[in-house]
Amino acid sequence: MALTLMKGSEAIAEAAIRAGARYFFGYPITPQTEIPEYMSARMPEIGGCFLQAESEVAAINMVYGAAGTGARVITSSSSPGVSLKQEGISYCAGAKVPAVIINVMRGGPGLGNIQASQGDYFQGVKGGGNGDYHLLTFAPSSVQEAIDLMMVAYDKAEKYRIPVLFLADGIIAQMMEPVELPEMVDYKVDPEKKPWACTGWKPGDDPEKRGIINSIYIDTESLAVHNDALQAMYKEVVANEQQWEEYNCENAEYIITAFGTVARIAKSAITELKAKGINVGLLRPITVWPFPYDAVKKVATQASVKAVLDVELNEGQMLEDVKLAINGAKDVDFFGHCGSQMPTTDEIVNKILSMKEGK
Amino acid sequence: MKNVKVLIGNYGSGKSELALNFAIQAAARGEKTELIDLDMVNTYFRLTERGKMVEQKEIRLVSPNFACSGIETLSLPAEIASAFVLDWDSVIFDVGGDDVGATALGRYHQDFIDLEPGSLEVLNVINIRRPLASTVEKILRLQEGMQAHARLQITGMINNTNLATMTSAEELRAGYELLKEVSDMTGIPVAYTTGKKEFLDAFLAENPDPKYVGKPIAIDMYMHRDWDSYIQYGLNTTDPRKEMY
Repeated sequence: MALTLMKGSEAIAEAAIRAGARYFFGYPITPQTEIPEYMSARMPEIGGCFLQAESEVAAINMVYGAAGTGARVITSSSSPGVSLKQEGISYCAGAKVPAVIINVMRGGPGLGNIQASQGDYFQGVKGGGNGDYHLLTFAPSSVQEAIDLMMVAYDKAEKYRIPVLFLADGIIAQMMEPVELPEMVDYKVDPEKKPWACTGWKPGDDPEKRGIINSIYIDTESLAVHNDALQAMYKEVVANEQQWEEYNCENAEYIITAFGTVARIAKSAITELKAKGINVGLLRPITVWPFPYDAVKKVATQASVKAVLDVELNEGQMLEDVKLAINGAKDVDFFGHCGSQMPTTDEIVNKILSMKEGK
Repeated sequence: MKNVKVLIGNYGSGKSELALNFAIQAAARGEKTELIDLDMVNTYFRLTERGKMVEQKEIRLVSPNFACSGIETLSLPAEIASAFVLDWDSVIFDVGGDDVGATALGRYHQDFIDLEPGSLEVLNVINIRRPLASTVEKILRLQEGMQAHARLQITGMINNTNLATMTSAEELRAGYELLKEVSDMTGIPVAYTTGKKEFLDAFLAENPDPKYVGKPIAIDMYMHRDWDSYIQYGLNTTDPRKEMY
């Protein structure tokens, strides 16, 4: 097995290319500038397009246009840059344009700082742009997982015609890990499979085959029909696409919920707590939209569980979904940091110990 | 005579880990040691994060202004001049990755020229498991770019081939084979081979040609992070790769 040591940013970029992405539009911002940097070198090698746009707003609208032709397109940014993209993301969602958007989260709000954060959970899964829409949202916890999710991201995006968001904290993009890269996918736009794509209709061609990418519906009835269709699609995504990891959950005394890098620190804490005779499990959502409500409920409401601890690199955002899932059946406590300081193994261990002592 | 080691190389080749090891080993030998964090590119995972540990070992650490803060406008501190004017036994420069990172050295061109002949080692740290240093051609391209930007000639290569937590002796062996080719083509010697003691011993037990091993140096891991241990559990519970970790 050929393993290589890659930085998360490089791996995300290479995986997108291997998944068939041939258009990158973006604008540099720490801590994800290595993605455009890598793309700028790699895209010309394979006949793809790297374009540094004049702004994030321009970049996401380029994504909207290029993905509207059925091509596999990607953009990446970090928190404040993703805020700028929200209008375009809502347009992509409304027009059902499949594309992949990377958010390498840094400290906020506003310009915040450049260190790792998970502060854009709300922005990613509760909207961000206007209207009733969702993005299929992946929260990778390792460089390899980011690669593996990228390899299915375009297939999922195209199957449902939904934009896919990667919600990665800064650590995932900046850390290096040994990874295995998959083979290059041979992707070509097939107008038969993507009848909606704008692939060059000319006057005189079959009017039925004219692709129209649009998110405006002027009369109330047609907008309602459009929204009903979107909601029906979201229901299917909720039914089919939830992914999560359960670790040591069986008969656990406490359950930790965490996503991304923080879940890894939680695992180290679980090992230490086990040595102290305390059995703690982890439930890690891999898709944060759709959120695995039933899975969280199932492990958290086991008879053995005394309480649930949600740990995040923010002030408690996924916490709201964890509470919704558990719906009062168990106490839910929170531990987190903002200001981009990673929670440490010791801090999580001490928090569980203090919960056990009833503090 | 003062020994000045300048560590340049591809991103992720292990420069910071080696810089820490060289400095700690020099200080343990009783040498007056200065360690210079000259990475003007990266804002994450930098040597200065281990600053407290370094200073406890009586090593003078110089870091860029604003290193390890929440902003990305690093600047060169005046204290770097101390590397050249003060009476150290050992000075180690940990430089940013690739030619971009090596650019910061250009500023000290005259200072390097003025060093006593024989005191300067410019070392290209190579990890062939990194995608941009995985072939002879790529290593040569990187080397050329870094030399031009640094305004310094590389005096030796370091075989530091590793896969982080998944390293074995096989990594050093593969690095040895490739650097042998590079060395024969460029005339630049392999100055050091570095790795965790167990892997280094296993590699050396195969009796590789000492000409392409240079001086073997066993290193410890100081850049370990809280979340690294995750890898031993695998990516998720159903992942077939789990066996590997």
